[in-house]
Amino acid sequence: MSAVSVSPPPGPAAVGGLPATSVAPPPTVPLTFLGVAGIGLTAFGVAAVAVAGHAAVAPTAPTVVATVHLAMLGFLASAVLGALHQFCPVVGGRPLRSVGAARLTAVVWAPAVAALVAGFASGHPGVVSTAGVCAFSALVLAAWNLSGPLSTRGRGAPLTGLRWAVGLLVATGAFGAVYAFDRHTGWFVLQPHRVLAHAHLGLLGALGLTYIAVAEKLWPMFLLAHPPGRSPGDGAVRLVPAGVVLLVPGLLLPVRGLAIAGGGVVAAGLAAHLASLAAFLRHRRRRLELLHAFVLAGAVFLVGAAGLGAAAGLAPVSTLWRARLVSAEVIALAGWLGLAVVGHAHKIVPFIGYTALRARGVSRHPDGAPLLFGHLYDARLARAALAGTAGGFGALVAGILAASSALLGVGGVALAATGVVATANLALGPVAVLRSAHRPPSGGPVIEGVPL
Amino acid sequence: MNPPASGPVEHARNVLHQVVDPELGLDIVDLGLVYAIRPEAGGIVVEMTLTTPGCPVSESLPAEALAALQEALDVPVSVEVVWQPPWTPDRIDPVAATALGLRR
Repeated sequence: MSAVSVSPPPGPAAVGGLPATSVAPPPTVPLTFLGVAGIGLTAFGVAAVAVAGHAAVAPTAPTVVATVHLAMLGFLASAVLGALHQFCPVVGGRPLRSVGAARLTAVVWAPAVAALVAGFASGHPGVVSTAGVCAFSALVLAAWNLSGPLSTRGRGAPLTGLRWAVGLLVATGAFGAVYAFDRHTGWFVLQPHRVLAHAHLGLLGALGLTYIAVAEKLWPMFLLAHPPGRSPGDGAVRLVPAGVVLLVPGLLLPVRGLAIAGGGVVAAGLAAHLASLAAFLRHRRRRLELLHAFVLAGAVFLVGAAGLGAAAGLAPVSTLWRARLVSAEVIALAGWLGLAVVGHAHKIVPFIGYTALRARGVSRHPDGAPLLFGHLYDARLARAALAGTAGGFGALVAGILAASSALLGVGGVALAATGVVATANLALGPVAVLRSAHRPPSGGPVIEGVPL
Repeated sequence: MNPPASGPVEHARNVLHQVVDPELGLDIVDLGLVYAIRPEAGGIVVEMTLTTPGCPVSESLPAEALAALQEALDVPVSVEVVWQPPWTPDRIDPVAATALGLRR
């Protein structure tokens, strides 16, 4: 009679089943994607410095396009793929269809993105189209893999949002592959409104919606908040994809009325997302801490992006200013998601590291206290990551609006430094605890009780 | 002479005080997750819940509780995860909540 038994959790919004260790993938799966994202953020910062001199005046220059793809694919999409592989099984209560396929996705994705960026920067359309197909194939493989946990029924808003997000992620990849081949073959002119359609599909429909959906799962835990009644987030996970489905064709064709209507529905969905955040904050039992600062700073970027997008779409401004406003809006959206990624990484990675350490028999900090997440990273470096992410993206937004290469350079330096600091901080913390735990009071290191 | 009925139960409760939520830094007893500890068929049965269904951290706690009990007790033990009544932050021990700076 030695066992853990778990009764089915109540209610359609509840998620339960067996302990998470039975459905979550091995830690190496999400950590691989998150590691790629850390490298992607660093590379994006470096590239932003390199193109700072002409990004504001020539946003479609090959090196600028390469830099943008570093941010969207190398940083944000890599992190979101890691989050999807971790959270879809947890939310759906079912494991991935194949852990091997998840590893293959990462193995294909990372070099494909690198080749895509290199192809853009070097002006080789053949490399771009080949890499684009490889990256799209990785997304299709991921979608098939994630469809296992996402096929569960009755799991509430987070699962609904994740289903839409994965579908729109594949659609974004398909758009990208078509555009990549178009650069090679010249089927149609890749005009700015078509590029914008692609950017909004990816940023709002795929990456943004993933965060909106996962937040409904994470915020109750991280804020220790149980707001009464139905969460406004339930509306957010439906309004955002519904709006994107209108907005993207409106930008693509282009049909101004359709784009404005879609933008309005998206704005309503984002407002619902922010209302959900406000409800969780109001009912939180925990003191505000570092993660909450990331989330709140991200919300500021989201509000700023909505304002910039509305101004670009509705205000009577010159073509030059419209281009600046749209570019700044896209960067602000990236800032919203970037802060979410870096902030939540300081929760998720320690959890994964904690699980791995416990599996190796490490249950206490070297000082003898029970092992906590807070032991697995340096809080001062985490605060520096917050400042670097918010300051970096803020400088990029300001640099685009002011056409200032200096501000763009400062933003790039801040983001590159953040990538290095955050990745090293989160990667080395668990390693340090493991080494300390296996080190005897005196003498050489010990692994599994055997002195070396 | 048999130990008092509360002996193994209290022992189990003390053991469960050592199982800590790694996110909050609070043990599962003070967190209010342990609903019942009862002797049954010569062993110990623990009824506990989770702060949030589906929380991967939370869901690792029953297994940790079972491991801690198995290591400390000489009798068969089982841990049952239940959902009624639902956990709310009001179940947190007031002293521990104050120490952690949790809002009431």
